[in-house]
Amino acid sequence: MVALIPYITLAWLVPAFPLVGFLITSLAKNKLKHNQAGIIASTMVALSFITSVFLFFILNSSGQDSATLTLFNWVSAGDLKIPFALLIDHLSLVMMLIITGIGALIHIYSIGYMRDDERVNSFFAQMNLFTFSMLLLVMGANYLILFIGWEGVGFCSYLLIGFWFKNPAFNYAARKAFVMNRIGDLGFILGIILLFFTFKSVSFNEVFSQAATLQSGAPILTLITLLLLVGAVGKSAQIPLFTWLPDAMAGPTPVSALIHAATMVTAGIYMIARSSILYNLAPITSNVMIILGLTTAIITAIVGLRQNDIKKVLAYSTVSQLGYMFLALGLGAYSAAIFHVTTHAFFKALLFLGAGSIIHAMGGEQDIRKMGGLRSKMPITFLTFLIATLAISGIPPFSGFFSKDLILTKAFEISPWLYALALGGALITCFYMFRLFYLVFFGNQRLSSAHPHESPRVMTVPLMVLSVLSLFGGFLNIPALFGGDSGFENFLHKAVTSKESGEISSATEVGLIIVSLSLLGIIIVLAYRTYVKKSTVPAADGAPSSLIARIVANKFYLDEIFAALIEKPFGRLSDFLFKSVEVKVLDSAVDGVGTLTSRLGSLVRRLQQGNISFYLFAMVAGILLFIIFILFV
Amino acid sequence: MILLIILLLPLVTGLGILFLRNACTVRIVALTSTIVNLLLTFVVMGSSPAATFSVEWNNLMGISFSLGFDGISLLMLLLTNLLFPFIILAGFKREQNQISVLNFLILLTQAALIGVFLSQNAFLFYIFWELTLIPIYFILLLWGGENSRAVTLKFFIYTLAGSLFLLIGIIYIVQLTPGVHSTDFSVLNQLHIPAATQIWLFWVLFIAFAIKMPIFPFHTWQPNTYTMASTQGVMILGGVMTKMGIYGALRFLFPMVPQGVLYWQNIVLVMCLIGVVYASVIAFRQTNLKRLIAFSSMAHISLMAAALFIYNYYAAQGLLFQVLTHGLTVVALFYMVQLIQDKTKTLELPQMGGLKHAAPKMAILLLMILLVSVALPFTAGFIGEFLIIIGLAKQSIWVALFGGTTMILGAIYMLYAYQRIMLGDKNASLKNTTDLVRLDYWMLIPLIAILFILGIYPQPILNLVEVSANTMQNLLTSATGIVTAMPH
Repeated sequence: MVALIPYITLAWLVPAFPLVGFLITSLAKNKLKHNQAGIIASTMVALSFITSVFLFFILNSSGQDSATLTLFNWVSAGDLKIPFALLIDHLSLVMMLIITGIGALIHIYSIGYMRDDERVNSFFAQMNLFTFSMLLLVMGANYLILFIGWEGVGFCSYLLIGFWFKNPAFNYAARKAFVMNRIGDLGFILGIILLFFTFKSVSFNEVFSQAATLQSGAPILTLITLLLLVGAVGKSAQIPLFTWLPDAMAGPTPVSALIHAATMVTAGIYMIARSSILYNLAPITSNVMIILGLTTAIITAIVGLRQNDIKKVLAYSTVSQLGYMFLALGLGAYSAAIFHVTTHAFFKALLFLGAGSIIHAMGGEQDIRKMGGLRSKMPITFLTFLIATLAISGIPPFSGFFSKDLILTKAFEISPWLYALALGGALITCFYMFRLFYLVFFGNQRLSSAHPHESPRVMTVPLMVLSVLSLFGGFLNIPALFGGDSGFENFLHKAVTSKESGEISSATEVGLIIVSLSLLGIIIVLAYRTYVKKSTVPAADGAPSSLIARIVANKFYLDEIFAALIEKPFGRLSDFLFKSVEVKVLDSAVDGVGTLTSRLGSLVRRLQQGNISFYLFAMVAGILLFIIFILFV
Repeated sequence: MILLIILLLPLVTGLGILFLRNACTVRIVALTSTIVNLLLTFVVMGSSPAATFSVEWNNLMGISFSLGFDGISLLMLLLTNLLFPFIILAGFKREQNQISVLNFLILLTQAALIGVFLSQNAFLFYIFWELTLIPIYFILLLWGGENSRAVTLKFFIYTLAGSLFLLIGIIYIVQLTPGVHSTDFSVLNQLHIPAATQIWLFWVLFIAFAIKMPIFPFHTWQPNTYTMASTQGVMILGGVMTKMGIYGALRFLFPMVPQGVLYWQNIVLVMCLIGVVYASVIAFRQTNLKRLIAFSSMAHISLMAAALFIYNYYAAQGLLFQVLTHGLTVVALFYMVQLIQDKTKTLELPQMGGLKHAAPKMAILLLMILLVSVALPFTAGFIGEFLIIIGLAKQSIWVALFGGTTMILGAIYMLYAYQRIMLGDKNASLKNTTDLVRLDYWMLIPLIAILFILGIYPQPILNLVEVSANTMQNLLTSATGIVTAMPH
């Protein structure tokens, strides 16, 4: 046993390192030479990682479940007392390790990837600021500190999506992301306020200990959990607030890997898992999450089938995987959701970084139809990408298999139909991932102008580390079926309260795995026959012929619908209010009052024509009236 | 005595600089005076509220010249004296006509504003209230931009008309006082005016404050005036004078007609919420940067007005915190507007773009100010608006939802404006543009630093206003029982 308390004070170092990195790289922006900013920024995140690992071992050996470190009192007004406090428990540690561990790898990779960018120092400053905010988000001991991080990561995401700010489309994508997040944030903040009114506190410890006394299905809890969910839907890109995420691919690829795959977009999942006690008491919200998650998972997977931009395919697959995590949350399998967050962080970061390596090699080309044959030219990227593709497709023993299978099993426990739908989404995922994989690495090189080459070591080493994680990450949580002890779930058990679920027999479980594996095998072969055997890209991938194919290729026209229903009417409303209401009605009314007054003035002026006898008459009449008034009234 | 010095210092300095010839000396003397006044304000903040000043002035009508303060007036005093050094500084090194007269007028406005916030009786309050109009009228008229004559006239008449209602209201209330009539707030606050009277008297008083803030639909003077006004003029108007409306409402409506406030609360609240959404939506499509900020400012003021009329504990704290934040933000923003106009030679957003290439540091500072405006956590804007939204939610979740849309809409129009000013490809017409100079840093860094420090450590300001905010709230709570018993 190690006493936790003296060491816990080190927790503030974890967010402090990247903050210092941000300050150095941003203030000395014009002085730092080529790699310096990248090295400083990466070192800071690596130091955070080391500190997190240290805290991990301390927490494990202490036998304690959690510890809170209060730094200072942020706001204190009436009942509202918000200390600036950090919470170290099993859940926040898992997230901290992901953020700093994967974050450090992505920072290192970026040294190579962003080498030639003229604003590379700003890039690393913003990446460090993001890491700081993200750490605040997962380490905050109450909802308000979480919210600081929540808004902070949203802002950094805005900055980094619009990093190449010369391009108006990128700037638009950045704004869109921020505004859509803000829509969610309004729900989130109202949820926090209702929490405060209900529990007279926003600190996790107090809220959860009081919530345990409330009855399941209490209307106020349903409302609160729904409002919090609105925030999570915005941040974690679920229907209907997901269209910003594919557009967010405008940012540099390491940004997509760090923010829009591994960390920020999982903030919503983290927040709900953190609030598991509340969500366990709100069955309606749980059902909403099941429906939202499953719909998002399937629809965006379908859209992914017809994307030709390598990053867009990965983006839709991210939205789809986030959908699975929401499904898990809705099923009450919070630790399964966090487990999928973890493995997804491994393989999706790897996929994005691999994509970055490919884009670099192709001289900026992102259209997978123009790639091909990269297998021999980029062996490391090829091999690591293969591992990631197998992982996301859910092939054992790669990490994605364990986490996805866990969610599918939980779905089966509720209903076979739910399982069937979720499995269907997984099969589609497998198809578009192998489509991507085959088109990029197999066949002949289709773009003759490019001269693909393997990326430098600073980029390939992070790829190799991540592929090891993607390969073995699943072993963190080997289920009992394979003789494991579900270590990850048990580890999280102290921080999140998953719902008890009915056990299904191992025979059924084995059956389900065999079914899903054989279907996956068929899909991989099918993809091989479509995209490798024929050696040319099928015509349907270029110009979609059928109506359905067109709808899918155009992402269900969701952007167009959004523009027609919200963006354009909003602009028109703005014009109408200004040009008609403001200028024509309100302002004219004021002018009207003015005109009326001056008209009245000219009427009265007729009385003052210099006619002395009239004045005298008026004066005497006035005096008379006055006297009469005093005497008789 | 120190209060009298704070009041008279700008006046005396102002008169003094009329005799100075050298433009540079004028500005430095004016700046020194405002800085000394700020330091004196800090002294006052450290002392007890007993430090009042009072002399018999016009014995015939029982009016005395008495100055004093509570937490709310102290906050207003702090706001005024904190902003005026920056307002004077904003004029440094600029081509201006009649520099000594201009600075005299600015200092005169400062003195009048200080008078408004420190007056302890309604008569004195009204004198200062009207006195603020005269210098600002000339500042707007003589140093304003295009069409200043017509716009200023409208502004003048509009606010003057409002003030007339206020005057009638004050006279009516004063004649209700028992015995030898008194205009002291302390007497007026104890009047217990009959509920039926309060209901109509509310509007007589309210109109003046509603125009000043402004509250929808009494706002139409504001966008044009802001657009036309000189940078210093609009800083005074938007930074401090709009807060006169809030202060007046707190001094008159809550203590004197609390039942009137409660009776009309919902209607006024709806007006305020319409104002939030209306101004934010309009701001989105404005092409003139100053007009855009005018509507943005109106949206924020409307949210503050909503908090004002709900006035529970959190709304009050948020409101008063936001008074300070908004003032600082407006001054910083309009200084930025001035810089943008200097560099791009236009205020029309469609003609701008790509300024970040030429002035990257300016882009960063502008973004930081916008973050305060869109209420990002760790900026003062968040503390204020978050407390306000808690206050609104206490009334009803729907009110909070409508008020909260400012979080979304603010992000929509502000980031769009930022993109149109700063981002995009290099702009050939900005080839010779330079980044910020030393003076700009002196202006912007302190403002931004205060706005971020208050966001990280807001407690001093929250403590400053706590007692007074509670006092006001008690007035409303005690009136609640009477209103609910009254037939509507």
